[in-house]
Amino acid sequence: MTDILKVKEVWKTYKMGAEEINALQGVDFKLEEKAFLAVMGPSGSGKSTLLHLAGILDLPTRGEVFLEGKKITELSSKEQAHLRRTEIGFVFQRFNLLSQLTAEENVMLPMINPDKKKARELLDRVGLEGKYDRLPTQLSGGEEQRVAIARSLANDPLLILADEPTGELDTANSQMIMELLTDLNAEGMSVIIVTHDPMAAEYAHKTVQMRDGKILG
Amino acid sequence: MGIYSLSFKNLKRRKLRSALTMLGIIIGVATLVLLMGAGTGMQSYMKEQTETMMGDISIYNRSGGAYMGSTMDSYLDQKTVSQIKNMSQLYDIKEETTFTTEMNRTPLYVIGLSNWDQVKFNGTPGVVIDQSLVDKFGYKIGSTITIKEKDFTVTGITKETTGMGMGIVFLDVDRAVPLNDNKVTSISASARGDPETVKKEVESQVSGVTAMTQSDFTKQIDDLMNGIMLFIGAIASIGLIVGVISIVNIMLVNVTERTREIGVLKAIGFTNREVLGSILMEAGLLGFIGAMVGLILAAILLQLGIILFGAQLGMEDVSLTYMLPAWLVLAVVGGATLLSVLAGLYPAWRASRLNVVEALRYD
Repeated sequence: MTDILKVKEVWKTYKMGAEEINALQGVDFKLEEKAFLAVMGPSGSGKSTLLHLAGILDLPTRGEVFLEGKKITELSSKEQAHLRRTEIGFVFQRFNLLSQLTAEENVMLPMINPDKKKARELLDRVGLEGKYDRLPTQLSGGEEQRVAIARSLANDPLLILADEPTGELDTANSQMIMELLTDLNAEGMSVIIVTHDPMAAEYAHKTVQMRDGKILG
Repeated sequence: MGIYSLSFKNLKRRKLRSALTMLGIIIGVATLVLLMGAGTGMQSYMKEQTETMMGDISIYNRSGGAYMGSTMDSYLDQKTVSQIKNMSQLYDIKEETTFTTEMNRTPLYVIGLSNWDQVKFNGTPGVVIDQSLVDKFGYKIGSTITIKEKDFTVTGITKETTGMGMGIVFLDVDRAVPLNDNKVTSISASARGDPETVKKEVESQVSGVTAMTQSDFTKQIDDLMNGIMLFIGAIASIGLIVGVISIVNIMLVNVTERTREIGVLKAIGFTNREVLGSILMEAGLLGFIGAMVGLILAAILLQLGIILFGAQLGMEDVSLTYMLPAWLVLAVVGGATLLSVLAGLYPAWRASRLNVVEALRYD
């Protein structure tokens, strides 16, 4: 199997005033195609930072990140944005839908070729038939997260990155979201979730623990 | 649904805020268009009047010509007039004489015109008087009025006014000249050959006169009006600048408020340039819509002005097309939009440079 994502000896250092914080301290890991990985660990262990690097939202201070064999530090910011848009789907803890757009418009927003029919199909797929014209304020938290998942699929990505996707949802909605992600993984997409929630992590094929900027074990 | 249609949605999202920001632009543009429009209208109207009413050349006494309240020395006397009339380079010669006198202790401004029919006052050989004389003495069409011991019949009433408490009387120049001791204010004539050459010939062959061609006049009008318009434009632009500054302000507020949203846009793959463009577009839209509304407002006010005051200024046949030529409309709307886009530049640059991870954490 080929590796979609390769993280080699990566360090990430933030400056907080005079103090330097090492969010990641020499992390190494690989993600194979069609993998479903859960990253767990306490707050401040560096798991979100790792997800940000995997999604090219941030760049490493040291070390290398390869996405589909491309070294992300060597890409221009435009090429990085293009990769984010076409190959990666983000799902956030706080849904992060645009409040002025309807469900359908939120899903269409990132599309390279805006396609209303496809947006509706994606919303149907996450179980939001007939709610195309609802604004985020007219949807429940679980429904908002399902719109966010539909949005992440807008450009048929290879990799779904979900940062605490169930963090603000009740158990029933959490299960529904995790089942959706499991289905997507079964259809061939690689998935990484960062979570505190052991129930959510159970859906993954593999779980890694992080502590103090390092992957344990 | 692309990132640029988001700009429209963002304006609609904060309707009151957008409307108030636009108000600055609306007021600025409306003031500018109103003043520039009135100036441009007057300028082109004056030029057109000059061209239709005047011959190629106008000749005056060298002292600068006789106008309201001039002394007798500033007229052209009979000898000079006949000298001019005998010049072969001139044809279609028209005289005009104006003088002030009194009638029942009311000052009168008497204008003798040779292009009587062009002024559209029908009823030669009578006189046309202004409304102030009608109000004061109860004259009506058919009344007899006495000017310098001569009787005339009123055949028309004009809305034109001196605005200085003086009555106006128009009459045919042939009957006006004897009333003014056979003196003439100006002569206008068509020229055979180049008006510039003829002008020089007139000035060298007839002593004590100065001649002006049509282009001398239009140049004078342009010089005068361009100076006035530059001044007015500069003052009126202050309003527009204030409006533009409020766009900088409001766009900074918008960008700060939407920090997380901008983070999301970048996270889902929009480039810095696309984010920059969408903010510039939003600022430009504020300016463009504001400018269009301001323009329409100014056009309505100008049209009202023509309807209400056009006749008094003797400009009743001026139209909006005089006042709002395409260059003015394009310059003001284009200028306001461009300035607004520039106003969005700094806020947009800040938005495009936001760190995605930090922006996503923003509350």
